[in-house]
Amino acid sequence: MTPPTTGARAVQLRPETQRLRREVRDFLAEERAAGTVMGRPDSWLTGWDPGFTRRLAERGWVGMALPKEYGGGGRGNLERYVVIEELLAAGAPVSAHWVADRQAGPSILRHGTEEQRRRFLPRIAAGRCFFSIGMSEQHAGSDLAAVRTRAERTDDGWRLTGTKTWTGGAHLNDYAIVLARTDDESGDRHAGLSQFIVGLRDPRVRIEPIRLLSGEHTFNYFHLEGVELGADALLGRPGDGWRQVTGELALERSGPERFLSTVPLLTALVEQLRRGACTPEQHTRVGRLTARLSSIRQLSLGVAAALEAGRPADVQAALVKDLGTRFEGELVNEVREILPTAARTDTTKGSYPELLATAILHSPGYTLRGGTNEILRGIITRGLELPS
Amino acid sequence: MTTDHLRTPAAVLARHPGDALDKPAAAARALWDALTTADALPPPDTDPHALVALVREAGHHGCPAPLAETLLVAGPLLARAGLAVPDGPLTFARGPLDVRFANVDTASRVGPPGAAGTDDAVHVSGTLSRVPWARAAQAVVVLTEGPGGPVLLALEPDEYRLLEGANLAGEPRDGVVLTDTAVPADRVRRVPEAVLAEAEWRAGLARAALIAGAARRCVELTVAHTAARSQFGRPLSHFQAVKQEEAKLIEEAALVGAAVEAAATALGDPGGAAFAAQAAAAQASASVGEITRIAHQLHGAIGFTELSPLRLATTRLWSWRDEDGNEQAWFARIGRHVVESGTGRLWPLVTGTPAA
Repeated sequence: MTPPTTGARAVQLRPETQRLRREVRDFLAEERAAGTVMGRPDSWLTGWDPGFTRRLAERGWVGMALPKEYGGGGRGNLERYVVIEELLAAGAPVSAHWVADRQAGPSILRHGTEEQRRRFLPRIAAGRCFFSIGMSEQHAGSDLAAVRTRAERTDDGWRLTGTKTWTGGAHLNDYAIVLARTDDESGDRHAGLSQFIVGLRDPRVRIEPIRLLSGEHTFNYFHLEGVELGADALLGRPGDGWRQVTGELALERSGPERFLSTVPLLTALVEQLRRGACTPEQHTRVGRLTARLSSIRQLSLGVAAALEAGRPADVQAALVKDLGTRFEGELVNEVREILPTAARTDTTKGSYPELLATAILHSPGYTLRGGTNEILRGIITRGLELPS
Repeated sequence: MTTDHLRTPAAVLARHPGDALDKPAAAARALWDALTTADALPPPDTDPHALVALVREAGHHGCPAPLAETLLVAGPLLARAGLAVPDGPLTFARGPLDVRFANVDTASRVGPPGAAGTDDAVHVSGTLSRVPWARAAQAVVVLTEGPGGPVLLALEPDEYRLLEGANLAGEPRDGVVLTDTAVPADRVRRVPEAVLAEAEWRAGLARAALIAGAARRCVELTVAHTAARSQFGRPLSHFQAVKQEEAKLIEEAALVGAAVEAAATALGDPGGAAFAAQAAAAQASASVGEITRIAHQLHGAIGFTELSPLRLATTRLWSWRDEDGNEQAWFARIGRHVVESGTGRLWPLVTGTPAA
């Protein structure tokens, strides 16, 4: 019964990463000048710009932790961390390759066949192959093991039937990794699940938009209407889906997108404050956000280092996600109070009132996506009950 | 069978918990003797990271001695100023004092009369208030404004009078009264202005490291209590409402721990040490409210009494968060820097990589 503690030492990023960070900042400065990077909050959810993704890929910053033999950069996860945190803090449009880079690439590398690796990884690293996540369903949200999408064996592969929901970017991306039930004989709900790589342009795939409360279109229903797949669409082993999916969670939950989504708004606020006379109270409240941001980042870096070293970090990742995503929302509310401004959608895109409006309208999502925070807190306390 | 593990600093600290503060000076002496006997006091060239780790341990046990002040503030400042670092517990204070050169250089034409001395010896008068563990210290290290700029002094016990006081946990916070005290030149150094800022963030980091340790104690005691105590036929830890709060307690303590770890690592980096220490001090002070609130709420009535050791951590936390600057003071320093030092400063500061 040992409460989780942080790693013995804070992560000291190697000097080379300083150089890498400066290269990314120089690149971002060019893109900013060209008008493609606009300091938008939540740009990893809604900033879909394949041109930007390809330019990033040309620098080697997509799939950079994938091995070189598969077209990746062969670099470490901490270097990748440096790149993505710079992109997110700058509010760069990274959503096209986001899932491919963070999840699908590593997952195919770990569980895929040699043929699947050669087929997908080089295109992911080139910024030319985009993925969605096909997990949630109407009756399977936090309780993911309740998925009902079925995969039946056919003579030469599989037939998938069911409906996924909240599938981000399914109308734009190329593939989705779908979690489906391959066996319901087993009494264990966690057994009998498998993962499949499904082409989103398949004639038996139907994408139906679900608009966000802001009217934006990122989410979809993703109907699989008897999609016929070859045997080579199976990712990993049949029945191993649950293990494969939960193995990715630490990566999905602890990254910088779990605390940086609204930081571009804070940056914009500071620039607004610089233009006028800043009061002591405004200084103090900016200082509070800065200290908390810095502390959460250190915790997140600790998880990245643990994952890099091959140590399990599920509980730590849940902890970062709860702290970080609550911070994303608190930041928006604080910013409102620090500099009272009417949030507006009916004004110039990229102006301060419009950035504020985007951050407010996206705020319900921060503590929901990637695992609802209330459920994550259960993971944190369950960690206390395991024999230490 | 070896007993080496009993001689480690952490093991010695564990045998000197903070629940006997009726005679704090004696308790401090006993702890220091034990550390000395076990050869567990870190030598001067110790990796600063290890010093911070030791101070966290001291905070965890509520150890009755000025370990934080000695290892992270007074000692390093004396060493930096080129003054001798006495063996034994030290403490640190800043404040306005009346400082005059003992031997005024009457031939000097620099500044007003009395602005220069033929040596560094001074006479000092005034009162330093609420100095941690002053009654147990071998020397009080003082940073103050001298006739020609900031000076660092090391005062010995027979040079001041003590006005005993205590913080909420009963730890000594003594007034140090100086009445025309003569301090010889070998215990006085003029120091650059930058030392003022360094002393400030060092004191903040020392306090933050103590807070991180005591925060971990709150987590351990709360986890143990909610597992052991049953109501309605099941352990408290099985209630969803309890789990939600307990998770937040664990998170907030981990957050402070991560900020302190980062500051400890940054101690070796001249560019990043100040911000990392300030951020740790700010976050540590700010998190005390949530940590102590949840720990007490989940302990129920017993935690509010002397029947539970929880108070040994929480009363210290309530004092430490305000000593050496509360969170508002740290927030203000950080925020002013972020807003006023130039465009786009926030992110480079947080990442420790200045804009090119």
